[in-house]
Amino acid sequence: MSEPNDALRDALAAELERTHRLSTEEAAERAARMEERVRPRFATWVRRELTIQRRKEKVAVAAEAHGAAAVAATGEEFVRLSLELRLQHALMALSVILLVVTGLPLKFHESGWAKPIIGLFGGPDFSPIVHRIAATGLIIAGMWHLVFIVATREGRRTFLQLIPMPQDARDAWQQIKYYLGRTGDRPKYDRFSYVEKFDYWAVYWGMVIMIGSGTMLWFTEFFLRHVPKWVTDIAKEAHSDEALLATLAIVIWHFYNVHLNPHKFPMNRTFITGKISEREMIEEHPLEYERIMEERRRKTADDGGES
Amino acid sequence: MRCTAVVAAFLAAAAAAAQQPAAAPAAAAPAAGTSAIARQCLICHGRPEFKKVASDGSVVPLFIDEGELKRSVHARWQCVDCHADVTKIPHPEGLAPVNCQRCHFTTNPVGAPQDVNYDAYTRSVHGRLRLAGNTKAPLCQDCHGAHLVLKHGDPASHVNKARVPETCGRCHVDIYAQYQRSVHGRALLAKGNLEAPSCTDCHGEHSIMGAKETGSGVSAGNIAETCSHCHGSMAFNTRFNIPVNPVTTFKHSFHGIANELGSKKVAQCASCHTSHSVLPPEDPASSVNPANIPATCGKAGCHEGANANYARGRFHIDPESKSSGIIYWVALFFKILTVSTLVALIIHILMDLVKKLRMGHAGGHAGE
Repeated sequence: MSEPNDALRDALAAELERTHRLSTEEAAERAARMEERVRPRFATWVRRELTIQRRKEKVAVAAEAHGAAAVAATGEEFVRLSLELRLQHALMALSVILLVVTGLPLKFHESGWAKPIIGLFGGPDFSPIVHRIAATGLIIAGMWHLVFIVATREGRRTFLQLIPMPQDARDAWQQIKYYLGRTGDRPKYDRFSYVEKFDYWAVYWGMVIMIGSGTMLWFTEFFLRHVPKWVTDIAKEAHSDEALLATLAIVIWHFYNVHLNPHKFPMNRTFITGKISEREMIEEHPLEYERIMEERRRKTADDGGES
Repeated sequence: MRCTAVVAAFLAAAAAAAQQPAAAPAAAAPAAGTSAIARQCLICHGRPEFKKVASDGSVVPLFIDEGELKRSVHARWQCVDCHADVTKIPHPEGLAPVNCQRCHFTTNPVGAPQDVNYDAYTRSVHGRLRLAGNTKAPLCQDCHGAHLVLKHGDPASHVNKARVPETCGRCHVDIYAQYQRSVHGRALLAKGNLEAPSCTDCHGEHSIMGAKETGSGVSAGNIAETCSHCHGSMAFNTRFNIPVNPVTTFKHSFHGIANELGSKKVAQCASCHTSHSVLPPEDPASSVNPANIPATCGKAGCHEGANANYARGRFHIDPESKSSGIIYWVALFFKILTVSTLVALIIHILMDLVKKLRMGHAGGHAGE
């Protein structure tokens, strides 16, 4: 590890010398001090810091070339989720939690915890009503979102950015190579990474299956006027199985991504504030960051031209 | 039991017999033959035409078959050992029914078998009604036989498995008729198949409860467990051409889950299959024959207005079994989808976690 560290320390020193206008000796000394502090993780740390620095600079250099001032104030926060999207998420999350809590005890009815939990919601005659109220919340969230992506400009733009593209497959491949240490460069993501797109479409799939089958189970007697019993049997099986899949995906995958992983623990606050920091923006959505900066630069340049 | 004894021509002879004092139970009474005292009783009671007219005008036969007395497990006892309040002739009015607990109690000196059954009986629906004064409710002798008491293993015993339906049917006439026509009744009574349930296999014996009481084996909350004593075993079901386990599949259905969680409204075994007229679905008279499904599902309080669509599909579906058709494939699809998705996601999580821990989150911000 010492040899690559030397090279990295030199790179860091050079960077410090240039950006902080230090003398070569001062820069080398500070780089050595930093290495001392974070020795075991020095290499990855320097790479990460240099990447962020370079991305910031790339934007600044582009701005400077056009004679504009620096475009991003340090510590700026970027809007990631509008209030409307946050409310959609909140309604869906609340509904799903209630649905899972009143639904899973039915799937695991043989477990000891099933009966107390159903008892908490008023027993076998009342907890189904809670389940249906929550289901109504989920259906409203789903319909709200459909209207949002069709009828609003923000919704249409966001939806188009969520459509899976060949680039997502390339990104996923590069991300895995990065995880396995085959490349030092993480893929540069735009507004939505392949992980976020997967989450979004997984919810689509889940909503279609759960609302479709759930409606059939809710209004069994109405549906049985028109369809044979085996159709409702499929609905029952699909509802039960997809419920488990969705619950596991949320508890394992979604909770890891937004709560448990070391970069976000204990919680990514974006679902409340709607904002992410510049640092997160540069690290996780560099293409979007660059595009925003480019737009701002163009705008200030245009304003400058007009005035 | 207020009745007026009409004393016939036997009065004189009986009066002579009453001069003899009643003997205490003789521990070593001769097993064969009829004792002297019994012979005295049989002077009147041994005649088939010996009857009395009760106060309500009905004719009560008073004939006792000596052959039965000799075959009974009680053959060695005297009549008055049980009929203890018969002390003179003509007998006083209002004789009490025989109380079996005179001998059948714990630590009795004559070696009469005893167990907790007597206690169980006093808590049972029969015992409680009897203690409350309902003389129609049965006492021991009403089921076990009065003068011909035999061990339950004896095919001639009133409480022998194959004869229990007839014994219960003496009071529960309609139910006996239904049971005889059911698959269970036909198997036990017509075919002699002792695997088939008799009344007591579902309802219990001495501890029998009302069907709606929570302690009853046939109450809504317990019936599935009771049926599972036989139908819970696939080895059993397969022998009787039942292709899926009806108990576990019920327990996994919405009906079964709600039943297990304590719902009283929901269908359980007997709601669809009936209690005493259980028949295989192929039988046109069966409540679960496809032609009768709409009526069965459409019972008041259930799926009123049920139509033929209710019969189009399988019942007692086991998603694990290929015999479930499309449901098997739907379940398999979701199983594969769930396992593959979660394996992929967990691998992704682990790769991400390992990488982030190696990079060191704290170190990432050390320079800031």
